[in-house]
Amino acid sequence: MADIYSIVTSQKLSYEQKVVALAHAAEDTLSVLPMPERTRFYFDKGVICNLNEGNAPYRPRYIMPDYEKAVKQGVKFLELDPPQDFDELLTFLQVLYRHVPSITTYPVFLGDLDKLIEPFIKDLSDEEVKRKLRNFFIYLDRTITDSFCHANLGPEATRAGRLILDVDRELEQAVPNLTLKYDPAITPDDFAEQAIYTSLCVANPAICNDVLNAKTYDRYGISSCYNILPIAGGSYTLTRLVLPRLAEMTKDKEEFLTKLLPEAMKCMADYMSARIRFIVEKSGFFESHFLAKERFVERDRFVAMFGLVGLAEAANHFAPEGKKYGSDAEADEIAEQIMDAITAFVDAYECPYCEIANHRLLLHAQVGIDTDYGITSGIRIPVGDEPESIYDHLRHSSRFHRYIPTGCSDILPFDITGKQNPAAVLDIVKGAFSLGQKYIAFYASDSDLVRITGYLVKRSEIEKWNKGQAVLQNTTQLGAPTYASAHLANRKVRGV
Amino acid sequence: MALVRKIIAQSTVDGPGNRTAIFLQGCNIRCAYCHNPETQAMQDAEAKEMSVAEVMTEVRKGIPFIRGITVSGGECMLQAEFLTKLFQAVKALAEEVHHPLTCLIDSNGTVPFARHPQLMEVCDGVMLDVKAWDSETYHLLTQARNDEVVKENLAWLLQHHLLTEVRIVCLPKRVDVEVILQNIAKIFDSIGEKAPARLLRFRPHGVIGELANHPMPSDEQMAEYAALAASLGLTATVK
Ligand code: SF4
Repeated sequence: MADIYSIVTSQKLSYEQKVVALAHAAEDTLSVLPMPERTRFYFDKGVICNLNEGNAPYRPRYIMPDYEKAVKQGVKFLELDPPQDFDELLTFLQVLYRHVPSITTYPVFLGDLDKLIEPFIKDLSDEEVKRKLRNFFIYLDRTITDSFCHANLGPEATRAGRLILDVDRELEQAVPNLTLKYDPAITPDDFAEQAIYTSLCVANPAICNDVLNAKTYDRYGISSCYNILPIAGGSYTLTRLVLPRLAEMTKDKEEFLTKLLPEAMKCMADYMSARIRFIVEKSGFFESHFLAKERFVERDRFVAMFGLVGLAEAANHFAPEGKKYGSDAEADEIAEQIMDAITAFVDAYECPYCEIANHRLLLHAQVGIDTDYGITSGIRIPVGDEPESIYDHLRHSSRFHRYIPTGCSDILPFDITGKQNPAAVLDIVKGAFSLGQKYIAFYASDSDLVRITGYLVKRSEIEKWNKGQAVLQNTTQLGAPTYASAHLANRKVRGV
Repeated sequence: MALVRKIIAQSTVDGPGNRTAIFLQGCNIRCAYCHNPETQAMQDAEAKEMSVAEVMTEVRKGIPFIRGITVSGGECMLQAEFLTKLFQAVKALAEEVHHPLTCLIDSNGTVPFARHPQLMEVCDGVMLDVKAWDSETYHLLTQARNDEVVKENLAWLLQHHLLTEVRIVCLPKRVDVEVILQNIAKIFDSIGEKAPARLLRFRPHGVIGELANHPMPSDEQMAEYAALAASLGLTATVK
């Protein structure tokens, strides 16, 4: 109750943030999920972490509505007819976004925005489109006050896509996050270069390897912190395994790989299965929510994300003294053994209601949370341990990205001179993608917007928050401590 | 073997895209504004004798992230035999790894390209410095009298579609920028071919001697040069 009192009386939380925090507190008074003793043990040790998903899930964590279908068909529940012109489309989307639930209470996926917009702008001048887009984006940024919200572009170049990039660069906002799906055979260089240039100005968009990610499901989108999920579906849950905490509990690698890791994975997988069952069988979401009833999402297109964090520290824990993940073969081999063991487990474990994933939990390189001290995002190389050469860095990530179907990424700060030669940065992206890198994000070392673990935060907002002032974006609260604790200011800046 | 000053694995300022840039030791002229004066001497303790194979080991590390290599200097054409072998090796590597690689030369244009047909066969283009047009201005700037060769190279490279870009370091009073622009425009017209021009702002960084503390030309001055270039029908970028 002390918690609730402190939420109610906080001066650092905005009104909306208080409402969300109170709902969370209420949900957590229930205990509807089975919690066997060993599972409880791993939760208490922080080895398994449900990322504040709450004790009684009443909606899937991430929802990826089929916006294209909604725009074609209209939404009965919201009394929205199919939009006929650009203004109607933007209003339609604003209303619909407002009603898409998620773990953050804000929509985490805004659709393939360029494709949604393109058919509606034929008769409008660039200036008219940009003026309307600007207002639309300002509305999104100020009402979706959480930068885990993501819109997608590409892989085709469209006029809409180019105008979205222009507006994004002018506005310098944290929302929406953008990702360009990039396929060298489809995406023209000049469009990819415009995206990279924009990214070096405002840390947005990130670039996703369309060739590899398109193999994961028939239709995919990128949501939240680089989650690769089926469109018209989503993810029931994301629970994560904090590998270094488990490593520290074991006496050697043998015990880790053969005893504790399998046991912890089994506990986590059973826990995730219980969450899935509760959402599908008890919460009533799929029976009652309009997104399901009007079939903008399909129950059998939801997956469940089996998250991992801190592969680097776990590998380093077992590596010979001084050998490090990212630069030493010994540590990298241990990391591979760990990944092989985890892959073998999820391949063999059958979970309920995950038809599109062949009834399997799907691995996800979880990017971390604000209280992770000394634990590196997913399978990334720790800040400070990055190889001297960016080429070696990218070769390394390509080697580990192949394990992860539902999202893994690298974030590279680039020297500002990169802006003068986006083609060179594109060459690097092409090279990395050809080797198997799945996802890459940049920002320029001088930009106000920085990528924390995946989401964007303004350095200027972090300063305000650190001084104790209320800030609009929820993610600033997460970003401020992470920026400091993960030493993100020390990420190796790549000169180009 | 060549005398290599340094290799930059990832360069974005030595031609299109991301490239591995190789800087050879030794130059045959003495530009007052040279910002790599340490590369001028034909011998230097910090330069390293390297074989084609040794340089190729470095180039390989850039695959598949680079679009090609650029050899610069000093004046790399003073080691043209080496360049020929290096470029041949790069082309062979491109075949081997199925990744196209281009080979560019960054040159002051004082060595006639026409005399190196084998090299030109494996070279994808030359970024040519035009230091000055008037012979006396050229001499005062470079202490050399080989400007006619530069002009012949300009025409020859253009005719052979090997002129990637013309580079002009803009330093008012010491470099006759306007005259250079007028004359290259004339040559472009007479041959009926074009190449982009890059107007590089003089920067005192690294410069030694009389120009060490010389101010950079102003934005307005650079804009004027760019406007002149445009009015002459040249595609020019300012850097
Ligand atoms: S040609 Fe280049 S390396 Fe030689 S002196 Fe001139 S600026 Fe320096």
